[in-house]
Amino acid sequence: MNGMSKVVGIDLGTTNSLVAYVKDGVPAVIRDRNGDGLVPSVVSVAADDTIYVGREAQRRLLTDAKRTVYSVKRFMGKGREDVQAETGHFPFRVTGEAGGVLRIGVGDREFTPPEAVITVPAYFNDAQRTATRDAGRIAGLEVLRIINEPTAASLAYGLDKRHTGIIAVYDLGGGTFDISILRVEDGVFQVLSTNGDTHLGGDDIDVLLMDIVLAEMSSPSYGGPYVGPRFSGAADGAAGPAPEVIQEVRKAVIQAKWDLSEREETDIVITRSGTAEAVPYGAGTAEAEPYGATAEAVPYETERYERHITRAEFEALIQPIVDRTLAPCRQALADAGLEPSQIDEVVLVGGSTRIPLVGRAVASLFGRTPHSEQNPDEVVALGAAVQADILVTGNREMLLLDVTPLSLGIETMGGVTSKIILRNSTIPATGSEMFTTAVDSQTAVDIHVLQGERELVADNRSLARFKLRGIPPMPAGMPRVQVQFQIDANGILSVTAREQRTDVEQTIEVKPSYGLTDEEVERMLVESFEHAEADFTARLLIEARNEAEAVIQATEKSLRAPDFAEIEKSELAAGERQRIESVAAGLRMVLTSSDRETIQKWTQALNDATQHLAEVMLNRSVNAALAGRNVDSV
Amino acid sequence: MSLPSSAPTMQACQSCGAGAPLDAHFCPQCTKILPLPRQADYFGFLGVPRKLNLDAADLERRFRSLSRQFHPDYFYNATPVERRASLERSSCLNDAYRTLRQPGARIEYLLKIEGLAPNGSGEAARQVPPALLEEVFALNEELAEIRDLREGGSAAGEWQGRLERARQPIEARRVEHEAQLQELAARWDAAVDRGATDGERRAVLDALRDRFLERNYIANLLAGIERELNS
Repeated sequence: MNGMSKVVGIDLGTTNSLVAYVKDGVPAVIRDRNGDGLVPSVVSVAADDTIYVGREAQRRLLTDAKRTVYSVKRFMGKGREDVQAETGHFPFRVTGEAGGVLRIGVGDREFTPPEAVITVPAYFNDAQRTATRDAGRIAGLEVLRIINEPTAASLAYGLDKRHTGIIAVYDLGGGTFDISILRVEDGVFQVLSTNGDTHLGGDDIDVLLMDIVLAEMSSPSYGGPYVGPRFSGAADGAAGPAPEVIQEVRKAVIQAKWDLSEREETDIVITRSGTAEAVPYGAGTAEAEPYGATAEAVPYETERYERHITRAEFEALIQPIVDRTLAPCRQALADAGLEPSQIDEVVLVGGSTRIPLVGRAVASLFGRTPHSEQNPDEVVALGAAVQADILVTGNREMLLLDVTPLSLGIETMGGVTSKIILRNSTIPATGSEMFTTAVDSQTAVDIHVLQGERELVADNRSLARFKLRGIPPMPAGMPRVQVQFQIDANGILSVTAREQRTDVEQTIEVKPSYGLTDEEVERMLVESFEHAEADFTARLLIEARNEAEAVIQATEKSLRAPDFAEIEKSELAAGERQRIESVAAGLRMVLTSSDRETIQKWTQALNDATQHLAEVMLNRSVNAALAGRNVDSV
Repeated sequence: MSLPSSAPTMQACQSCGAGAPLDAHFCPQCTKILPLPRQADYFGFLGVPRKLNLDAADLERRFRSLSRQFHPDYFYNATPVERRASLERSSCLNDAYRTLRQPGARIEYLLKIEGLAPNGSGEAARQVPPALLEEVFALNEELAEIRDLREGGSAAGEWQGRLERARQPIEARRVEHEAQLQELAARWDAAVDRGATDGERRAVLDALRDRFLERNYIANLLAGIERELNS
């Protein structure tokens, strides 16, 4: 390979992204003219459709906040409802699902190579991994592999010394937290357990500080005319401060956070001059010129907010956030069957581990000083480059054996999750479950795939619902359909099924709620941005309809259950059945509408209306099971 | 050994078409990785005897060494057939190591491949094993009284003490069962070593199965008491 592989490793960070490659056996971060390797994970689409990425886009946060997107990694593979509470802190609007958002991340043309290894937080679920893979594909990359950030970091650390032992990697980034425990021996990096929180990071610290500053700015003693109690995230921003103000505040508190990693005290300073709408930051300098420091901008009275903050105050403020990382650490240790004292080395990864309090908390949990020799911002990308090199050159010095972070299961009778592949299983992994039919000559069964640790289906993440068809007609209970789940080395799931009596095999295309098929990705590559978004919306509408139909069917099935009359008499409230029926009828009526939100609202309403009935039926099936009766049918 | 006589012993290499033994990982002719046969047995797959006392360090070394031979990372540029085979073999390896590494899962798996899987699907066997009827009956009565005490607002110290006392005979049974399981495991291993008759093997496995199900039932009882204590 002439000493230089043509693939890169990409650390797709919440705050910054990095790209690294291996040259002459040594991984190196790709840097710009100024020696800067960090590309801010920010994309800005100007009114004239010019797209800015990285540093340039970051500057536009202060001038064109509504058209500039950042920290979107937090929204990867999530539904709008999942992130609603949080979006209030973002000036850009999260509308519909992330058709456009998926496009950003790695769109920097300078760095666009044909093949890449992309890193994700270890605790990302299947939907989030699929979303990341799609993001890479839409950006025109061939995504060779998705690897976990802490594992990548351990790979980079393992380069210097050929050590053997147990390593804990504590990775606190901008938006996500991961802890992974690995055993390293003979160049095999085997992850024993992993845990984390995909919604915990430096951003949360920024938000705490921003809340304080915004509240103080709006207090009567400060008296700023344009600052509301808290930015509401409303479309017109009627009650809140202008998006640009939010960005000013954000920039200032981040600077203060950095300062406090070096110093004992600092000042948060925010100065403003100009109008509320029109882009005052840096007005008059050459740099701000192209971004619309328009002639209409009326000079505004200069204002100034200043606040002193000590490291002790800062640490008291963020202590709860740091504490939230400790429970996942303990769980990971327990899952690996280890005591903190059995960990040989602890490695810190992610920019937020520069905060001294974080280092102290980790040191006290594990009883040893953590390593931070490698640049915590760069180590993940370096590890990803090493992994890319392994894939392409066949370099067999090292091998990563990763695990699946969350258990995988299917829905069984009564809305209970039956686990098929347990969390922390080394991947690739398989698991299987036997299905049969409930009525004579039934040729299809419904299968609902879930990810998560909870017992009830409703508490876990729904990955896919599909109908397994083509079962040869036989008496009820006769077919033996083995459904096999395969998690590949990227942690992504596929499903195959085989009817064992007739040996009919069927590979099922699992359509995860957020994944795209190859064809869809291809189409999105060639079609315009707007068009792709419309496609996406259409698909989401179809999915909402499918979901609604599934709920209607489940409801009808319950109402038709042989013991329903008895249940209704003994357990249901007066009018409960009538209510369920009327909501189901309502959902049926809106089913053909093209308003996804209405369909979802009615679906939710039917779910709510049938919740009690579902619980009653669950209890009955549990009791039946305890009484030794067989309820093994799906 | 317990495979039906009609089971094939050879497979065809999909890369070169040559015949390869069913338990081979790589084709003896072209050295390409072989697809996984449908009924792979975890013991055979890892190259260890079908015994219950396995050397953990040896098992781990085999796991690492085979990982280095099968892992999909090392087949990235190979043909689709080889990539598929690499995925199948490394999945099977991971599943096999995860199962055989844990003594409980190892017993359960042995029972399964010897055709003695606990009846019904999954863990099943929610029925009280006959040997435990007396204890379970006494425990349930005691638990009912303790619940009454708690509902009557009795002091935590009082009912916790009773619960702890109720736990002890069950815990003693658990220890007893662990010892019996170990003894039966040793008998099974000895039977394998001396090539015992099917009848002798079957007797050991039947006993192993009963003790194993009882042990699982006891573990559930203890977990239930634990929940009661912490609720």
